[in-house]
Amino acid sequence: MVKFWASVLGGYPRGRLARYTMRDLDSGVLEPYKGLVELERASALVVGAQLASGMRFVVDGMLDWHDIFRPFAEAWRNVYLDGIIRYFDNNFFYRIPVFRGEPEPQRLVLPGRVKGLKMLAEPAGVKIVVPGPLTMVKMGRNESGLSDYDLVDRVASVLALEVREAVANGAVFIQIDEPFLSDPEASRDDARAAAEAASRIAREAGTAVTALAVYFDSPKPDVYEELIDSKVSLVSLDVGDAPARAIELLREKGCGGHGLVLGVIDARRIHDDSYSNVRDLVAKAIDACRELEEVGLTTTTWLDLVPLRFSLRKTYILGLYTERLAADLGGEAVIPISAKPEPYLAG
Amino acid sequence: MAAYTVPKAFPTTVVGSYPKLPSAQEALRRQRKGEISEDEFKRLVREAIRGVIEDYIWAGVDILSDGEQSREDMVVYFAERLRGYAPGEWVRIFDNVYFRKPIIVGRVEWVSPMALDDWEYARSVSGGRPVKVILTGPYTMLEWSFDLHYGDRREAILDLARAIRREVDEYLARGAKYVQIDEPALSTRPWREEAELAGEALEVIFRGVSAKRIVHICFGRIERILPYILDYPVDQFDLEFKNSNFRLLPYLKEYGYDKELGYGVIDVHSLQVESVEEVKKAIDYLMKLDIIGPEKIYIDPDCGLKRLPRRIAREKLRNMVEAAKLARKEWAGEE
Repeated sequence: MVKFWASVLGGYPRGRLARYTMRDLDSGVLEPYKGLVELERASALVVGAQLASGMRFVVDGMLDWHDIFRPFAEAWRNVYLDGIIRYFDNNFFYRIPVFRGEPEPQRLVLPGRVKGLKMLAEPAGVKIVVPGPLTMVKMGRNESGLSDYDLVDRVASVLALEVREAVANGAVFIQIDEPFLSDPEASRDDARAAAEAASRIAREAGTAVTALAVYFDSPKPDVYEELIDSKVSLVSLDVGDAPARAIELLREKGCGGHGLVLGVIDARRIHDDSYSNVRDLVAKAIDACRELEEVGLTTTTWLDLVPLRFSLRKTYILGLYTERLAADLGGEAVIPISAKPEPYLAG
Repeated sequence: MAAYTVPKAFPTTVVGSYPKLPSAQEALRRQRKGEISEDEFKRLVREAIRGVIEDYIWAGVDILSDGEQSREDMVVYFAERLRGYAPGEWVRIFDNVYFRKPIIVGRVEWVSPMALDDWEYARSVSGGRPVKVILTGPYTMLEWSFDLHYGDRREAILDLARAIRREVDEYLARGAKYVQIDEPALSTRPWREEAELAGEALEVIFRGVSAKRIVHICFGRIERILPYILDYPVDQFDLEFKNSNFRLLPYLKEYGYDKELGYGVIDVHSLQVESVEEVKKAIDYLMKLDIIGPEKIYIDPDCGLKRLPRRIAREKLRNMVEAAKLARKEWAGEE
């Protein structure tokens, strides 16, 4: 019997409280401690929404992250931030991380967050997301003197340290985001570098579940072949953006012995997703990867590309559909709030 | 009013938006709160437009814009004035900057002139310098809206194109010489099918238009769509170069580019003011590649200047104009 569980892919949009708090923090009007308290209040809303919707792993919403690279780039020596540039095919821009040497952490970004989230998240597990080293290098500017792939390796080292400490503080799910692997320009070599970097990070994750996430489109078959060599527990694919190609990919290449997370709830549009479309997609994916014992369901990307109201609605839909799918496809839904504590939560 | 003669070589221009001047900020703030009448809104916006035009003239820019002073956002402004749209909620663009991403809830149709007043007013105070008509394109309107009505992108884009064409007709009837359609979203989905779809929409907008037809595209991997857009029914592509370190130029050479080019030489996301020498060097770089002649090159910023402080925007434009003058002298023998 296949077990189904749900977790949103990443961050949430800022509501008014978080927007105003960030504005006041950025302009220095608000003391950092007071800002933190306000952001925790805003974060509690999205954590509550995830718990109420039955998410197995929850994120804190990353409400204070201006983009996925920025908190890390700001915490590392030899990296500075330049102008803004578009993030894939979204009307969203990120600050370009410029590497002027090997990144060296001056402080850690994740452990403190995990501590704060752990109490709030129970009985669900704490999920953290780190930028994929390849994506960060490819979307940044390499002035380090290292080759891109050597720099990817150094970034992976620093992120591995982040992950080790995050797990020590209670994170149970580590997701490494490599959307660049869905880019038509991504090569087999890129995928190999990303897979090795993810493996390196995963080694430091101990007993935590690890996932390599690719989204905004399906990776090309040769890219996918390499990325499934990664020593992570799960491969997370956006199957909602280009469903036919995604299913074909799974049929042709399988899952490489990994568990599978399927991005099925459209996080870039605001309509309610069709249950029958989602069910068909999931059924086809399971059929393509017959060895699966568990399937995670998620959103096609982070939810911060839609307004807060719709992000909450999408969270609810994700939870609702996960339960219905489990019933319709003869599986079992794993919903922490109605289940016995799982081993990773014991103690 | 004396006619202004636009230089034949390296005329200077702007992409469109300018930092919101205080009276425009006040107008928008009070309009959102429902505190002012439409007449009072227009009065405040006109005060801002006058200030923008004064800045342009001070800097020496040849072909102007109204500075988009009444536009809260390039998509929202038009969405609020087209039938078929409903107001949206806040979605982030970058950092902590948000826009109210509008929602298409019905068939999109033109209702009445949307930006005509501002353009006419700008023209009346421009001292004879031409003022571009600048409208957000149908592709970008759709991409940066949520669609709860069409489901079919082509159908939506073509309806938007028809609405925009209806708007363009208003300006043509009043003697517009430059019509620019802004399609920044086009670079976000650099596939042949998307480029062809946008091209089909531009056919609707520009069919039979005798004014100079311009399309502005920026910030993305423009080189990927370049081969698919070169046949667009436009006289000029206005493109961002500075921010992407001029990486697009070799592609123009490779594809035998021969239309007019709006050459973006000013980084609109950087507070650092490009020096005259820096801009001149960028112009020299283009000229040395020998792609097109100086009479086909329009010198301008990468994109709208709205995110910059006014003082920085003015200085950037001033240096850009000075560099164009030097280039004019050197490459075209014009004073």
